[in-house]
Amino acid sequence: MLHVEGLSVRYGPVRALESVSFEARSGSITTVLGANGAGKTTLLRTLSGLVPSHQGTASFDGQRITGRAPEAIARLGVSHVPEGRGVIAELTVDENLRLGTFVRVRRGDRRAVVDEIYERFPQLRDKRHRSASTLSGGERQMLVIGRALACRPRLLLLDEPSLGLSPIVTAQLMATLRELTAGDGLGAVLVEQNARSALSVADWAIVLNLGRVVVADRPARLAADADLRRHYLGF
Amino acid sequence: MGLFVDILLSGVAQGMVFAAIALALGLVSRATGIVNFAQGAMGMFTTFIAFSLLSDGVGYWPAFVAALALGAVLGAAVERTLIRPLQGKPALNPVIVTIGLLIVLEGAAGSIWGNVARGFPAAFSQRGLVIGRTRVAFSHFDVFLVCAVVVLVVAIVALFRWTNLGLRMRAAAFSPEVSRLLGVRVGRLFTLAWALACAAGSLAGLLVAPLSSFSPYFMDLNLVYGFTAAVLGGLLSPVGALVGGLVTGLAIALVGGYVGPDLQPIAALALLLLVLMVRPQGLFGTTKVRRV
Repeated sequence: MLHVEGLSVRYGPVRALESVSFEARSGSITTVLGANGAGKTTLLRTLSGLVPSHQGTASFDGQRITGRAPEAIARLGVSHVPEGRGVIAELTVDENLRLGTFVRVRRGDRRAVVDEIYERFPQLRDKRHRSASTLSGGERQMLVIGRALACRPRLLLLDEPSLGLSPIVTAQLMATLRELTAGDGLGAVLVEQNARSALSVADWAIVLNLGRVVVADRPARLAADADLRRHYLGF
Repeated sequence: MGLFVDILLSGVAQGMVFAAIALALGLVSRATGIVNFAQGAMGMFTTFIAFSLLSDGVGYWPAFVAALALGAVLGAAVERTLIRPLQGKPALNPVIVTIGLLIVLEGAAGSIWGNVARGFPAAFSQRGLVIGRTRVAFSHFDVFLVCAVVVLVVAIVALFRWTNLGLRMRAAAFSPEVSRLLGVRVGRLFTLAWALACAAGSLAGLLVAPLSSFSPYFMDLNLVYGFTAAVLGGLLSPVGALVGGLVTGLAIALVGGYVGPDLQPIAALALLLLVLMVRPQGLFGTTKVRRV
């Protein structure tokens, strides 16, 4: 479903990504690992159109997405959950969720889609009319993921969803992600610092170092390779 | 007593004009983070177009509606051609561009219609209403003016609070990047915000033209007062703009009535300074302060 071929990105003279190629399939989780500054966030921002690419292509369902505007890519069903600050704090919880439904959900179905998100994250329902700025870190993470799901996406791009979450909440989040991608034709690209938990749920893993893909393999093989873990994953 | 009441009444009418200008400034500022120094000049220009239409024998209301529509078109065009390319550039650039636009529009109006002061017709009688047995300084036209601005403010509040379009506009203003990731066409909404703002600016021009000496510069001072009202109201809230306009209008009227009209601009600037020193976020603003 997502096909990335020789993607390069430059910030001025700095090469942020260098000829990155990989595929992400629907119904599976592809995790992108690597140290700080390896290019993980840049990769997601390029895929969702926020950062222009220098060379190479990315296509989604056979349609080229490199060179398109972020809103056009989102309309195709690619939902990017940015790192940390994706909640719109000036809006209420309910408004944040409704905002997700405007593009890919028919007018008559929008309420039902938002209610579905409340079923999944009951804590959000209790605070639906509160300003999103009053939410805790874990609740904010639920809100941005819930909002991405309200978009009815075909592909989720998740940037460090476990950032600032306790190990228990992180485990719940990973289980939710597993469950979501198990059925209805949803794929996910999961960028994580927390390599251990990402490898536990992913179907495929790539490791970036200084903008290049250095390893692409099954998660179990990565987790078993002590040298690799020490070099790139830090555990 | 009669004088005091008359002064207050004229302050209310003037204040509504400042409120409309403050609302226009707020719409643009909230959407694109820019203070549009050409807001007054844009309203002036469309009011002159209405003046031309009236001179050609077009009726008042068709000319009125045409000026509002042209204001919206002018606003959208300015956003698309002059403001959009400045995205991501230093904050001083839009300041220079909008001041440049102000100068161009006033120069163009001067060469098309001449730099002379004239009169602009009002939609209704400008003779004061008679209440009991006294004639007060508040005319049928003033009633219309107040109603027009209140309707404008209520419409904008309703748009933002109760419609999906308004929710998208707020989201785009607060978090353009996140909004784009959700598929919101942020660029179009910014164009729409400019169009709405400049239609409101046109309304202000049409409403204040009959009250002032109508020349290409007639909106300059009104922009200063409108800016004071906008800062007083906190720049972001339509209701704040209304209250800010009212307070500024009353203050200006009291200074004009008891001290002298020459001191009105200085009084407005003093009020502006006072607000910025004591409560920089304005009466209705949040604590977030943006440096311009």
